[in-house]
Amino acid sequence: MKRTFRQWVIQGAMLAAAFGAAGQPRAAGAHEFWLSPSSYRQSKGDTLEIAAFVGTGFRGEGSPYAAPRTRSFELLGAKKLDLRPATLNGELVFARFIGADAGGALVAYESGFTQLTLAASDFDRYLELEGLTQPRAARARLGAGAEDGRERYARCAKTWIGGGDGTRALRAAGLTLEVVPLDAPSVGSPLRVRVLFRGKPLAGALVRAWCAPLGRGWAPRNEAVRDSAGPRAQARSDREGIATVPISGVGEWLIGVVHMVPCREREAADWESYWASLTFAPEPLR
Amino acid sequence: MRSSLARQGARIARATFGHALALAAFALLAVTPTRALAHSQPYSFIDLRLDEHKLQGKAVAHVVDIAHELGIPAPDSLLRQGILDRYGASVEALLSSRFAIRSDGVGLRTRWTGIEPLPGRRSIVARFELPWERIPGRLHLACALFRYDPQHVTYLNLYESGRLRYQGLLDATRSNVEYFSGGGQGRLALIATFVGEGIHHIFIGPDHMLFIVGLLLLGGSVTRLLKIVTAFTVAHSITLALATLGILNPSPGIVEPAIALTIAFIGVENILASRNGRDVRALIAFGFGLIHGFGFAGVLRELGLPAGARAWALFSFNGGVEVAQSVIVLSVAPLLALLKSSSDAWSRRVVAVGSCCVILAGAVWFLQRVLPAS
Repeated sequence: MKRTFRQWVIQGAMLAAAFGAAGQPRAAGAHEFWLSPSSYRQSKGDTLEIAAFVGTGFRGEGSPYAAPRTRSFELLGAKKLDLRPATLNGELVFARFIGADAGGALVAYESGFTQLTLAASDFDRYLELEGLTQPRAARARLGAGAEDGRERYARCAKTWIGGGDGTRALRAAGLTLEVVPLDAPSVGSPLRVRVLFRGKPLAGALVRAWCAPLGRGWAPRNEAVRDSAGPRAQARSDREGIATVPISGVGEWLIGVVHMVPCREREAADWESYWASLTFAPEPLR
Repeated sequence: MRSSLARQGARIARATFGHALALAAFALLAVTPTRALAHSQPYSFIDLRLDEHKLQGKAVAHVVDIAHELGIPAPDSLLRQGILDRYGASVEALLSSRFAIRSDGVGLRTRWTGIEPLPGRRSIVARFELPWERIPGRLHLACALFRYDPQHVTYLNLYESGRLRYQGLLDATRSNVEYFSGGGQGRLALIATFVGEGIHHIFIGPDHMLFIVGLLLLGGSVTRLLKIVTAFTVAHSITLALATLGILNPSPGIVEPAIALTIAFIGVENILASRNGRDVRALIAFGFGLIHGFGFAGVLRELGLPAGARAWALFSFNGGVEVAQSVIVLSVAPLLALLKSSSDAWSRRVVAVGSCCVILAGAVWFLQRVLPAS
C-alpha cells in the first residue's frame, strides 16, 4: 500500500511537472542563456569555438551571434582580448580562437537590451518562477491595476575553460550582472560565488545551478541528445553577495542568476532584467 | 483467493494506467520542449553582396516558418529537394512579398536563381540576384519575413565589393534599413539624406524653433545675434557628437523635460532682461545648447547611423540643423528689428507677450514630458 501511495505521489509529481512545464509562457520558458565552448579544457595551440544557447533546464537551441546587440565579448586568458572583431552577425559559432597557453581562459559576453512585453498574469508568474521577489512585490502593491509587463532584458554570460591557472576563473569580467567564483570549481566541494551587480555585491539574488553530463572528453554534450533538467541546487546570496552551491558531480555546470530593476528609461520599458550565467566543467575527484 | 487476485489485478491495472498516464505526460513534456527546441528561437538570415554589376543575395529561412506561411502540413517535407521544387514558386512569391529593395524610391525586382534545402539547419536557402549598371548610392531594404511570430529576428549582413559593410537585425520593432554605398554617389546620398533630416527635425519640432525665437525676441545688433546663435550651435554640436559617439548618453526621460525647461527659462530671462537691461543670452544659449544637443542626438539615433559613415552622418545632420536655424534667424530677426525701429513701445509689448507665450509653451511641454501619459 505504501509503495502504491509513493508511486501515485511520484506519478502525480511527474504529471504536475509535465503539465506545469508545458503550460509555461514562452518567455518564461526560454530564458537561460549560456556560453558553450567546444571544450572545457584547453592546451596551448588548441583551437576552441564558443557558441551560445538559449533554453530551459540547461537544454537549448543555438543562439546566433547578434552583432548589433553585443556590448562586449572578451577572452580573459593570459591577456585580455576583444573577440568582437572576429565575429560575424548571424553565425552560430560566436568566435574561434587559439589557446595562447595552458593556463585556462574566461570568456565573457554581454548583450544590449531586447524588448519584451508579457500580459500582466504571465509576467507575474514569470517573476515568481524566477524568484524575482522585489519586482513581484512592487507589482503586487499595484494590485489589480498592474499592467502588462514591459521589460527589456540583457544577457551577461561567462564560461570558464579550465587550465593550469585556476585563479583566472576568479576574476571579475566587468559584466553588469556577474557570477564570480570565489574558489576554483571542483567536484565534491561547495562552490562559493559572489554575485556582482554593476560591480557591487548583490544580496538576496537567487543563484541556481544545473548540471548536465559532458560529451566526449571535455566537450559539452550535443544538444540533440541532452535532457532538460531542473536545478541541481539553489541558494540566495547573502549581504556580501555570496551564495554557496554544492558541486555534487562531474559534468557541465551552469550557474544562473537573474536580477530585475525598474528601468531607468521608462519610455523604453518598466523593468530591466539581467540574466547572468557561468558555465564550467569542474575537476573530478582524484 | 480470487478476490485477492482481482484486487491485485486491479492494482496492477491502476498502476499500469498511472504509469501510462505519467509516461504520456512525459511524452508530452518531451514533445513540447523538443518542438520548442526545434524552433523556439525563430531566426532567418539574409546575405546581400553588392558589386559593380549586380547584387547577389540569399535568404535562409526555417522550414517551420515557411510551412506555416504556405499552409504546408509537414514542414520537414520541404527538406527534400523534390518537394521543395514543387513549392519553389510559392516560396519565392512569399519571400518576394516580404522582402523589398528600393533604390532612390524605385522598387528593384530581384530574380530568383535557385532554392535548396539545408537539412542540417532545418532550413531552406533561396538565392536571388539583381543586375545593375553600378551600385546605387542609396538602398532601402524593407523586410518583415514572418510577422506571424513577433519574436522572429532576421539577421542581415551586407557586403560591398567583398567587404562586410553592414550587420543588422530586423524584427518586430525594426523592419527597414537604409544603406549608403561606399562610393562618391553613396556619400552624396548620405549627405543629402541627413542634411534633410536635420532641417526636417527643426521644422517639425516646435520646441527647438521656439527656443531660437525666444533667444531672438530681445533683438540686438547683427554681431550680438550672431554671437548668440553661434554659442548655441557650438554647444549643441558638442553634445550631439558626444552622444552620437556613445561617450555621454543621458536618458531622454531627463533630456526632454530639461529642453522644455530651457524654453520656459528663456522666456523668463527675456522679461527680466527687458527690465534690467542685462543681456546674457550668449551664455544661456551655450549652456542650454548643451542640453538641446542631446535632444538632437536622440533623433539621430532613431534614424540609425550608417556604419562606417557615422562622422559624415553626424556632420550632415548638424549641417541641416544649422540651415534650419539660419532660416529662422533670417526670417525673425529682420522683422523684430523693423518693429523696434518703427515703434519702441510695440516692440516692448511684443517682447513681453512673446516671452509669456514662450514661458507657457515651455511649462506645458515640461508637464507633458514629466507626467505619465494616461
